[in-house]
Amino acid sequence: MSTTPGAPDLEARLRVALAARADLVRGEDLAPLATATPVRRRWPTPWVLLAAAAVVLLVLGVVLQGVGGRTRSDEVAPEPDAPQLELPADVGRDWKADDLSSPARLDLDGDGRKERVDFLAEPTEDFDGRVRLQTTVSTTGEQAYGIAELGTTIGTSALDPIDADGDGDQELVLYFDDPSAVGGGGYPLVFDLRDGLLVRAVVEDPELLVRGSVPVDGSATEHFRMVHLHDYWFEQGTLWSSRSVNAYAEGNMTLLRPETIVVDAWRWALGDDGVLRHVEEACLRQGLEASQPCGNDTENELPSIVPVAGETIGAGGRAVFDVGYRYTVSVEAGDPATLVVRGEDGRTLRHDLAVADARVSTTQPTSVMSDGASFYVTSASDPSYAQVLVQDGDRLRALDTTGDVELTDDATTRTWLTAGGALVTAVAEEEGAWRAWQWQMVSGAEMAALPSGTVCFDDPSDPATVRRC
Amino acid sequence: MAMEPAVDITELYAAHRLALVRLAVLLVDDVASAEDVVQDAFAALARRPDAVRDPSKALAYLRVAVVNTARSALRRRRTARAYSPPHDLSPPTPEDSAVLAEEHREVIVALHTLAPRQREVLVLRYWSDLSEAEIARTLDISRGTVKSTASRALVALERAMHAPVTPSSREEER
Repeated sequence: MSTTPGAPDLEARLRVALAARADLVRGEDLAPLATATPVRRRWPTPWVLLAAAAVVLLVLGVVLQGVGGRTRSDEVAPEPDAPQLELPADVGRDWKADDLSSPARLDLDGDGRKERVDFLAEPTEDFDGRVRLQTTVSTTGEQAYGIAELGTTIGTSALDPIDADGDGDQELVLYFDDPSAVGGGGYPLVFDLRDGLLVRAVVEDPELLVRGSVPVDGSATEHFRMVHLHDYWFEQGTLWSSRSVNAYAEGNMTLLRPETIVVDAWRWALGDDGVLRHVEEACLRQGLEASQPCGNDTENELPSIVPVAGETIGAGGRAVFDVGYRYTVSVEAGDPATLVVRGEDGRTLRHDLAVADARVSTTQPTSVMSDGASFYVTSASDPSYAQVLVQDGDRLRALDTTGDVELTDDATTRTWLTAGGALVTAVAEEEGAWRAWQWQMVSGAEMAALPSGTVCFDDPSDPATVRRC
Repeated sequence: MAMEPAVDITELYAAHRLALVRLAVLLVDDVASAEDVVQDAFAALARRPDAVRDPSKALAYLRVAVVNTARSALRRRRTARAYSPPHDLSPPTPEDSAVLAEEHREVIVALHTLAPRQREVLVLRYWSDLSEAEIARTLDISRGTVKSTASRALVALERAMHAPVTPSSREEER
């Protein structure tokens, strides 16, 4: 089966190359560790048992060599078939509820009456202790408790309750906040009433039940890294989570994502063994406010690289910028021409334009800088020329670029400013594809381009013809 | 009465070690590391003899462990490279001396420029001959992600095969 048009030859070549490479590894080249004694599936006599045990020890002795000092094998190996639940310790009866905490109310035992669950905080200097979950079960009148570690004891409150095991009662959901994550991170903790205790469910694939951006291994550069976007949410008493199919550039306090992204989504169910597993899979198109099933459209939305802001002024022209910091600009004719900026705070800035036939966009390149005056400058006589000027106190400064992307406009590297103020450069790749980048100011004197996606154009000279590849 | 081991590790070792080392070498591209990866996978199973109760699932378990451990090994290698001398002075192993035909070498070098997940999908599909569902289970991703990753990986592979050889790709080759 081919997944890419024109790929069968490549697939065949890959298959042969992999086989050839693998076949270079011969049994006789391996370190002599393999057992020399045939091993039966059962141990017929104590002597054979002892002999075979010695072989096992010999093999495992060498196998276990070199494991120390590195990542433990059992940390990278898959989890056992039956993860162990951890029962809560009966501690914290005398802890007090934090002033900002709110008790949860949910039907833990399925009798139709809601229990009240109080959150008692372990007193520590940094408010980072454990939380005792405490309730009285309505059917028995007995106290039930659990222990949670939520990163902080301040302001504990529950998320929507769920019935993840479909048995008619509700499970308590708390969340662990990761304040270090850009845009918010963390994961939910599900507590089930089991044998009079509030026991935290073990999550089978915890990396799929998180919120926030998760870096792609090996993707970090000086100014950005690629991340998958994760989320979790509740739908009619069920817990769902998702992970973006594509990865997006994150850096410089910015995340470059289209408004709607395609995600793999999973519904989570609680088993009798207390393990939370993803049991149903879906493809969703996830917007900033709502999601909908992918249907037949599983492709990502295009990055925001159009419409183009085409209006410019030249010598003798004047423009008003009235979003954020308000200022007017005029271009005084001369050799060189001079850009004159008058800010609403009374400041006047003058800057000689270092190119003939300068054209100044009447749209501000806000993706680069919006905390003061900034301009995108091109040239009517030199189509490849592109420059960004930013306010630096009482003067304008031309930003240098850093990174691999060149700020220019030619046949293989197209640059334009969008009506939304994003400065975009598209670099030609193979087979008609273009990699789109968006410029960001990364220091007082430099800007860098962050990747925003791969696109194709019907006419590369006209960004408005952009389409999916 | 003492419990019998759920699976016979020595038997598994004898039966699958070579195949797993071959899988690992396609992921990490040197035999010594591949052997370490496979040893780690068996060591993990030895530490948790009850992790797999069904012997028929043992190979799948070991395959997952090899892929995960290979990924960790590559991560460690990336970290270590920042502190390593630029030239590897260790003597070549017999396997290193074996010659891969140039046409295959070009593909393998390009394969090792791909992202780890892309490389894993291609190796599991085109060498291990796993189905999309099996790859999804092995890598713990959805079938849709397997499909899209494979598609993008082939595009990236072809692109890498036409790209000029860089010092870093030569380093990968070693």
